[in-house]
Amino acid sequence: MEETGSQKLRAAEAGIFSLAVFLPVFILSAHIGERELSRAYPLAWSLFAAAAAFAIAYTGRVSFYRRIFFSVSALAFLAHFKLSLFSRIFEASCFKDTPFCHIAIAPNFLNYLYQQYLAFMSGGWKLWGPLTLGAAWIFITLAIGRAWCSWACFYGGIDDGLSALPRRPLLKGGSWALKLRDLPAALLAFMLLVSFAYTLPVYCLWLCPFKLTDVFMDAGAATHRLQYALMALALAALVIGPLLTKKRVFCSYLCPFAAWQAFWGRVNPFRITVDREHCSGCLVCATACPMTAIKCGPDGRPEVLPYCNLCGECLGACPSGGFRYTLLGLDLPAAGPAARLLTAQNFFVFSALTLGAVFSSLWAPAALRDVVKLLAGGN
Amino acid sequence: MPALFSEGFLLGLSTGFYCLASCLPLLAPYLMAEGKALWKFNFFIFLQFTGGRFAAYMLFALLASLAGRAGQYALPAWALPAGLLGCGLVMAALAIFRVSGASFCLLHRDFSPFFKRLPLALGFVTGINICPPFAAGFLRLMELADIVKGFVYFIGFFASTSLFISPVLLGTPWLGRRANEIGRLTLLLAGLWYIVLGLQGLL
Repeated sequence: MEETGSQKLRAAEAGIFSLAVFLPVFILSAHIGERELSRAYPLAWSLFAAAAAFAIAYTGRVSFYRRIFFSVSALAFLAHFKLSLFSRIFEASCFKDTPFCHIAIAPNFLNYLYQQYLAFMSGGWKLWGPLTLGAAWIFITLAIGRAWCSWACFYGGIDDGLSALPRRPLLKGGSWALKLRDLPAALLAFMLLVSFAYTLPVYCLWLCPFKLTDVFMDAGAATHRLQYALMALALAALVIGPLLTKKRVFCSYLCPFAAWQAFWGRVNPFRITVDREHCSGCLVCATACPMTAIKCGPDGRPEVLPYCNLCGECLGACPSGGFRYTLLGLDLPAAGPAARLLTAQNFFVFSALTLGAVFSSLWAPAALRDVVKLLAGGN
Repeated sequence: MPALFSEGFLLGLSTGFYCLASCLPLLAPYLMAEGKALWKFNFFIFLQFTGGRFAAYMLFALLASLAGRAGQYALPAWALPAGLLGCGLVMAALAIFRVSGASFCLLHRDFSPFFKRLPLALGFVTGINICPPFAAGFLRLMELADIVKGFVYFIGFFASTSLFISPVLLGTPWLGRRANEIGRLTLLLAGLWYIVLGLQGLL
């Protein structure tokens, strides 16, 4: 009887939480798509996000339901934007243009600053753009910081979803997995310098696995082949890597934006914190972490690296429940009737899920419409 | 002579931004990899690097003047890719072999007595890494065909381009062990990049 009452209370709390996610997502996604889409599609997407919120709040399994939401969002992006390049059925957008690739922001940042400087100094200050894209990035970084990579990135969802498919890893990185963990930071520093030196988007030309066309690659046959080879390598890291290793290989080792966000994301207060008293030092968390962002510290206990993007996988993996979401390492004071709702975890999941769902409203409702049209035999 | 110094200086001043963009991928990763949170130490690295560059410029001033005297008025086609290849090989070798500390190594080797002179060598290969402003100065020296005038011209060019490169020191007081590790990997990537570009030009 007492258990049933507790379940009802938990369901009520989860209901309130999911409603808190649903309302802003629906209002904003309906507004985003209002010129091209029926309200039914944003409503369906908002209900999906709200369902994920309910499941997380009710079960406490953050990473499992996050991954479902995240992977569906990434699949919707692939269907709507990438397949629309091939097919007439999948229309080119609800926004006419593809969204600006956030991965390109990081390696081209110096070029961007230089362009803004030229625009400003040449009197074309009306073209000065930091107030749009820059403001969006600052808002995202302040709101969820590094969690972008596990809750909102429309490419990360592919890597993350695939890494969950195998039951056991066929390949293990061993000590090299941690030795090379700074590779994305090095790649970012290198790309910033080389892109600036050659005034070219070097990352996009040489390494991006997401491009579907090669018309902008180098004209020289040998360089062209090399660019193809590196692109294939990145694609393998994105698709095959997670299936073999159960790790997000592309996001962990080749994405310069992940390193960028790991650096700037520290301004965001949400953290994953290890409770040393509960920790037995089994390091199951380090094995489970898909981002290779937990290493064995000097005292034999886990140490969370700056590359952690708060996916929550370690929370579920730790047998003694030693991990939790905090605000700069601190818990919120538990007092009052809503104490169970007003936790650092709920604040974080609310921020990340709402932002991820609103951001993916740029394509997810439209992808749903594409699928409906396809099933209905449209052309 | 002052006029020639000014000419070289102004060439460097007007094209220094390009010099900065060309030199940064070499100098910045090296400073990241080997620098410390000590401004003086990093400044010493910078001075050695600049010294290497200066030596390379003087060598090229000599070669350009001699080439001009011999009636040669064009750079050989292999010069630029060979310079890039040289840069790339030095950088990659540096990233792979010059490792210290137990936490991160590509290969556990340390040739410190020799590699203490590396900023100088790196500066030298940066100097022979011909960029368009440098090539413009080089062609001018071929035309002048006078060794002393060539030295004066390139001293001016060197002085003004160094002004553009020096702000790279500003970020170094915050360097730590992790920045060193990231710097080594960056140096390796930049070295591989220059090797590819060099080979592409030569083959």
